[in-house]
Amino acid sequence: MKMKELMRLQGICKVFDKGLDELVCLDDINLTIQEGEYVCILGPSGCGKSTLLKIIGGIEKPTLGSIVMDEEVFEDGIPKSHLKDFGFVFQQHNLLEWRTVQKNLRLNLEIFRLKGSVWEKRVEEMLEIVGLQDYANIYPHELSGGMKQRTGIARALVHDPKVLIMDQPFGALDAITRNMLSYEMLDIWKKTQKTMIMVTNSVEEALLVSSRILVMNKKGEFISKIVNDVPLKARDEKIAYNDRYNELRKKLDDIVHEIQE
Amino acid sequence: MKGNKKWLNIVSPVILLIVILVCWELYVAVSGIDARILPAPHVILSKLGERFMRDLSGDFLYTIQVILIGYCISIPSGILLAALCSQSKLVTKAITPVLILMVVIPMLTLVPILQLWYGYVMKVRIIVVICQAVPIICLNTLRGFTKVETAKRELFRSMGAGRFKTFVKLIFPNALPQVFVGLKLGCIFSTIAAMSADLAASNEGLGSRISVYSGMLMTDMAYGTIIVVALIGIVLFMIVAYIEKKVVIWIK
Ligand SMILES: Nc1ncnc2c1ncn2[C@@H]1O[C@H](COP(=O)(O)OP(=O)(O)O)[C@@H](O)[C@H]1O
Ligand SMILES: [Mg+2]
Repeated sequence: MKMKELMRLQGICKVFDKGLDELVCLDDINLTIQEGEYVCILGPSGCGKSTLLKIIGGIEKPTLGSIVMDEEVFEDGIPKSHLKDFGFVFQQHNLLEWRTVQKNLRLNLEIFRLKGSVWEKRVEEMLEIVGLQDYANIYPHELSGGMKQRTGIARALVHDPKVLIMDQPFGALDAITRNMLSYEMLDIWKKTQKTMIMVTNSVEEALLVSSRILVMNKKGEFISKIVNDVPLKARDEKIAYNDRYNELRKKLDDIVHEIQE
Repeated sequence: MKGNKKWLNIVSPVILLIVILVCWELYVAVSGIDARILPAPHVILSKLGERFMRDLSGDFLYTIQVILIGYCISIPSGILLAALCSQSKLVTKAITPVLILMVVIPMLTLVPILQLWYGYVMKVRIIVVICQAVPIICLNTLRGFTKVETAKRELFRSMGAGRFKTFVKLIFPNALPQVFVGLKLGCIFSTIAAMSADLAASNEGLGSRISVYSGMLMTDMAYGTIIVVALIGIVLFMIVAYIEKKVVIWIK
């Protein structure tokens, strides 16, 4: 895979005001993301994973630090003109209940002012990619948890972003659905060739889908960056028998265990 | 199962109503109470049927105009006021207790003052209805406008949606269930306000009829007029509830 830098975070800090106190959530994060990568972030809850994703996706501004993209340096977070480069998948599906599946996807097109038959067709394509083409006119309350989350993924893809940002996208699902969706995610990555950044709390899930795994400690520092070189061919139902997979899993389990203490 | 339940929803209140009427009828018959204090239901209904067209239809039309015009002005006013106030947290905080106060104050107290300005015209009563209905509509709508899930706001921020788009595509539709709470209360408040304005302004309208009939010891017609008023309120409420069901389909 040829490597091309997509974005670079330089010295990102995030401080929250808590009345008189200050809460340092992220302290000096440096991270380069290559085009076409699937980065997974692991870390204990409350360490700042969501905050980091929000800064990358332009929902929050960093207190300090800059983001470099396309040789442009953004000192004050992602500017409005570049928000279209990102698609966000939330932990709870976060669909608008008053819109049908199809119209939930259309929301992005409406806000980004993308009109025309090309985009109309893309709505259908994205629904097909997540297997929901027959549910286009159904309202979210009639869908199962897994289908809602699939809609959320299709919505994040519909405006053709460069990067898909996912914050524990399968965290609210049952184990079986969760497992199924991680295989689908791997498939979507292969099909769309998008850059993926995903927070998860499951080592197995991270190893199945990612090309690189970052581990954060409680203080919100990256203590470990691991290249996941389990071959793509081996990533199927039999992945648990792959030697490299087991090796990395053991290594990661140890690291995760350590930071919990 | 589901069809059964729907059926029960309609039948059970009707049965309760019948039980109350039968008890009432029996009580009047057994106790022999003076009809000028408590007339039997069948007497009220037959008197009402007999005299409605002749004695009440004019006042009925008058009051229904007051209610409908007042309510129809109150709906956009209340929602617009809430939309403006919701733009600022400070304004929201400042206006909420004022709105609660206005909900609680019976606006019929305005009638004498307004009549000084405008004289004995329908406008006075419409203003009373508006003053009573706008606060309750605004209060509930405002609650809806200010209660939006953080994640949904973040979704809109992740796309850089501006204030107007966020309001039209997120805040307003998200608040619709609350808006309808306000609208349903609003039609009840409008009916009550029109009634009380009639009572205070006298000479015309169903409310003033009630006091006239009471004064003339025509208790059966007084009760009959109250029934007509109640029917106006109930029908209005049912219309709004029906529209709500068609609009807010995502909450069962
Ligand atoms: N908007 C906010 N205001 C104040 N504190 C916040 C805010 N968002 C997050 N935090 C705090 O920052 C820390 C990291 O939060 P978060 O990024 O959600 O962690 P994670 O996703 O890793 O569980 C937590 O201690 C949280 O309380
Ligand atoms: Mg989180």
